[in-house]
Amino acid sequence: MSIHPFLEWLEATPVGVMIKESAWGFPITVAVHIMGIMLSVGTLVWFDLRLLGVSMTGYRASLMYKRLAPWMVTGFAVMFVTGLMLVTAYATAAYSNLYFRIKVSAMVLAAINAFVYHRYTERRIALWDESAAPPKGARVAGLLSICVWATVIVAGRIMSYTMF
Amino acid sequence: MASFFAWLESTRVALAVRDTLLLNAGLSGVHLIGFALTTGGALVANLNLLGVLFPGRPPIEVTRPASRGIALGLLISGATGVFLFAPRATAASVNGIFQLKMALLVTAVLFHVFVHRRVARATRHVHLSGPSAVAWSQTTQRATAIVGLLLWTGLALSGCAFILLE
Repeated sequence: MSIHPFLEWLEATPVGVMIKESAWGFPITVAVHIMGIMLSVGTLVWFDLRLLGVSMTGYRASLMYKRLAPWMVTGFAVMFVTGLMLVTAYATAAYSNLYFRIKVSAMVLAAINAFVYHRYTERRIALWDESAAPPKGARVAGLLSICVWATVIVAGRIMSYTMF
Repeated sequence: MASFFAWLESTRVALAVRDTLLLNAGLSGVHLIGFALTTGGALVANLNLLGVLFPGRPPIEVTRPASRGIALGLLISGATGVFLFAPRATAASVNGIFQLKMALLVTAVLFHVFVHRRVARATRHVHLSGPSAVAWSQTTQRATAIVGLLLWTGLALSGCAFILLE
């Protein structure tokens, strides 16, 4: 069964048509999408640097997460909602774009990395919460997060150059 | 200045960026990474000065590493920005949104270096000077943080507008 009828249906939804055909729908949605990336990745990187033991080592890792999480989550929510809206409008072109696939794969990897960190590494946070040099598992999670989100950003920009 | 921009556009680097889609797009992606690092650092520093992130701790403890993040981000976005500017120098230099972006960038950086850091540093000692000094200090801190947030948000928005409306 082909996925193309579904993609065409997505593009014909009111959201897809609004973004594609209104003068300001696309630029405003992309601008909000980029602002969401800056808010989410811009704050997440500070927690990642703490996990790496590179910055803010005088603060407990759990406190860093607690204080930054609302900003990260808000940014990710904005990024995902506007991202879905943009994909809805250009579903067919996005589906066949290599960089869109790289971006989505990197986001899945970021989700798996976050899951593994919260499920396993964070469980023993009491042992290293105040340590300036977190354990290997935490450092790997921080480094992987930075690399994966950098990939998301670069692939996203290349996608916008190659898709239209 | 126009002849300099015309020369810049004719350089081999500018032509390579203009004619190589992936190079142009990749540079734009790295530019955005630098920008995210900068705005993230600015956000953390200003939210902390506002008393939202780590109240009760000296603001300079966060401002200092955040400033390093802002500087690194600016280095990345500045280096890539030069390469992105080169092939479109003439058009960008007369573009109102680009001019606004550059003006906001300079203002935000100067404000961070000369006002934000000074206020964050001064707040470490003010608690020893009595309640009126603390109240004055909190008002100054909040005003500084709000101005900082507005400047960096304006810069991010003008950057988005330039990408989309160029």
